[in-house]
Amino acid sequence: MRFRPAQEGWLPLAAGLTVFILLLLVPLVVTDVFWLGLGITVLMWAALATAWNISGGLAGGLSLGHAAFFGIGAYTSTLLYLRLDISPWIGLFAGGAIAGLAGAVLGAITLRLRGPFFVLATLAFGIVIHIIAVNWRDLTRGSAGLVLPFGGGPANMLFAGLEPYWYIGLGLLALTIAVTLAIQRSRLGYYLIALREDEDAARCLGVRVVQCKVLASAISAMLTAFAGTFYAAYIQYIDPASTTQFEISVQIALVAIVGGVGTTLGPAVGALIVIPIGEISRAWLGGGPALMVYGVLLIVIVLAAPRGVIGALEWLAGRLPRRQKASRHA
Amino acid sequence: MQLTLQIIANGLLLGGLYALLAIGLTLIFGVLRVVNFAHAEFMMLGMFGVYWIWRLTGIDPYLATIIIIPLLFAFGLLCDRLIIQRTIGAPEVTVVFATLGLSILLQNAALTAWTADIRSVTTHYTGMVLTPGGLRISVPMLISFAVAMLAALGLWLFLSRTFYGKAIQAVAQNREAAVLMGINVRRVYMWTFTVAVTAAGVMGGLIAPLYSIYPRIGMSFIVTVFVIVVLGGLGSVSGAVLAALLIGLVEASAGYLIGTAWAELSYFLIFLAVLIVRPQGFFGRRGAEVFGGR
Amino acid sequence: MLEVRRVTVDFQGLRAVDEASFRIEAGEIAALIGPNGAGKTTLFNVVSGMIRPTSGEVLFEGRDLSRLGPADRSRMGIGRTFQIVKPFGGLTVRDNVVVGALTRGQSVAEAHGTALATLERLNMGHLADARAASLPLALRKRLEVARALATTPRLLLLDEIMGGLNPTEVNEALALISELRQEGLTFLIIEHNMQAIMQIAERVVVLNQGCIIAQGTPAEVTQDRQVIAVYLGEPLESA
Repeated sequence: MRFRPAQEGWLPLAAGLTVFILLLLVPLVVTDVFWLGLGITVLMWAALATAWNISGGLAGGLSLGHAAFFGIGAYTSTLLYLRLDISPWIGLFAGGAIAGLAGAVLGAITLRLRGPFFVLATLAFGIVIHIIAVNWRDLTRGSAGLVLPFGGGPANMLFAGLEPYWYIGLGLLALTIAVTLAIQRSRLGYYLIALREDEDAARCLGVRVVQCKVLASAISAMLTAFAGTFYAAYIQYIDPASTTQFEISVQIALVAIVGGVGTTLGPAVGALIVIPIGEISRAWLGGGPALMVYGVLLIVIVLAAPRGVIGALEWLAGRLPRRQKASRHA
Repeated sequence: MQLTLQIIANGLLLGGLYALLAIGLTLIFGVLRVVNFAHAEFMMLGMFGVYWIWRLTGIDPYLATIIIIPLLFAFGLLCDRLIIQRTIGAPEVTVVFATLGLSILLQNAALTAWTADIRSVTTHYTGMVLTPGGLRISVPMLISFAVAMLAALGLWLFLSRTFYGKAIQAVAQNREAAVLMGINVRRVYMWTFTVAVTAAGVMGGLIAPLYSIYPRIGMSFIVTVFVIVVLGGLGSVSGAVLAALLIGLVEASAGYLIGTAWAELSYFLIFLAVLIVRPQGFFGRRGAEVFGGR
Repeated sequence: MLEVRRVTVDFQGLRAVDEASFRIEAGEIAALIGPNGAGKTTLFNVVSGMIRPTSGEVLFEGRDLSRLGPADRSRMGIGRTFQIVKPFGGLTVRDNVVVGALTRGQSVAEAHGTALATLERLNMGHLADARAASLPLALRKRLEVARALATTPRLLLLDEIMGGLNPTEVNEALALISELRQEGLTFLIIEHNMQAIMQIAERVVVLNQGCIIAQGTPAEVTQDRQVIAVYLGEPLESA
């Protein structure tokens, strides 16, 4: 099922904490640069897809413009660091604030749009930001991109080894999941679900559409920007092609859809499936075939399991006991 | 004055090309309620089809365009059967992302098969120019324009004059009523999609002598065509043609006036504004945006 | 408490409501009756803010509501149900009601308490954890009422909640409405079940083809010639 208000319970919490602790230990076991790097990439995409899911799953608008927020996060912290020597740790919040504002505006203006109209509006918004990133060369150096100088040190989120990025990425993912859970348990969560289920009924119960959607969009955008800052600090080079480009928006949505739109952990599971497949096929087969795999994966998932892997698993879980009962009767 | 006329001529020629893509896209939306993200990939396939026939056999690109029609049609049918038919009545996420997946697949299949190299078709008429009253009009551009306009006219006649065309329009207006009237909706979907993507492929063949050919060329077209169909009102054929000519003019003049990048930026802002203020476009029917386009 | 002043609604050239005016006093049970397509639900939509009238205004406790949307009107104390029920199908029955309680500033935990109490009151407590979409129509209609009640309205608009109920259930519904009225709630009720509604209504507004053709006490209205003409072949007492 798509997001329902979360029920309290110690079991999921304990399980979540266990997984979190196990993930903390990963860098002690995985020391190979390729695999740890892959793991960090998975964490980042998991965070991105989880953030996307707050507007895509909870608020019900399938966005194809989230690369804009990712780019805003990456460029804000990087430019603040390069131009004003402000640490990306602070730039993180500056980028989050700007993206949050942009998300609020986008949420407000796309409020009444449904289905394909919403998708096209977010797509256009993403392209606007991309065109700005490519062409405002005085600020962004355009397609040449920006390099973060080596040796900025931990105070500037720049580390020599990969391990710190693993921990930051893990923190980022934990934050986005925690925010998702908090929203689900809050007033806002109930309102968003009510609006998604039936907007007219929700409004007549006193739910204010504008507030809810703007807030959800802003939170989603802010978290996406955090991941952008993280990406910039991790790769230490950004350009429009790797941050604001349409393909990035597609991939964010793709990861969430494969895992399960509207499920709490689906986007993270999606990243665990999609990113390794993508990275490994890219390494073995090259960029074109890797993206072909993405295309096929996207088609197959949306046709066969529109609620993603998690949705399909829930469906299976729902069927199993029934089948056992049936066989007992037979 | 001369410059103005030249810009208008260029703009109309360009708009004519967009029109053929836009009509197909808007029809698919109007009838199937599917936004076909893969539309321009069929154009790209048409370009490559013509390129390879020309390259390997030396057959003239226009003749090659005719040759590829049955191939495009068959491929359109295949995509319809495997993907599009399965999205009808499916959740929104399926409707939007299935064609996006197809777009990614086709683009990168082309990239894998033919590399990212930029290719071009050169014929003896590639550089040929007519100079009526001092204007410079590219002959292949004019031919493509004429064929595109004829095709558009043909589609319009088909829709408004034939029984089948009327069935398509009936389905576009009210799916349930069309079913009750005994129209085979699935078959209408199949024909609409297949004819529309074949038209996109033909358009690709027509512009093969004009444009560079590479796997990702669809990307630069599809977004412009989205702008056009939204301006014209998603689902409106006449709106699509008018908006295509308009956007052609804007694109041709903006290049002179404010530089391509900022021109592009401004028309996306206009696009966004239109979506927000008047999502039904300037020629579309009100309400589609509220019903989620279903 | 509620005043509808010369409200007109046009739908693309079709006049759904034509210069309708009526008032309801606090604590009253008012019925809005009329044949199908008379414009009753349209009038409900105008009062609850779902649609803006072409002209005319709605006043609630003396305040002009013209500039307020449905959410604000709900928060002012106007609750409503929908004739074509609109449950949040994917949610449990309890969570449906929680949404209503939350808009009144309760915390999530408090809202769960309110929701359960409201459901108990409507004899739906045992269904709290069922999925709303799984309920039969009669219970979904009751859920509409529960949800609206959880918003602690002062004026409640009920749109055909008795359709499809058996006689016992109709009596239960009537008893509940009377009980809530004792607690100070005001009602405006659209109902096709004449026999039932005439038992409790103190004021009846009759709508036909968008026009109010009669209003007054049930006794006055049932004697009205125009009303009898509209309901010809369908005597009011036994319909």
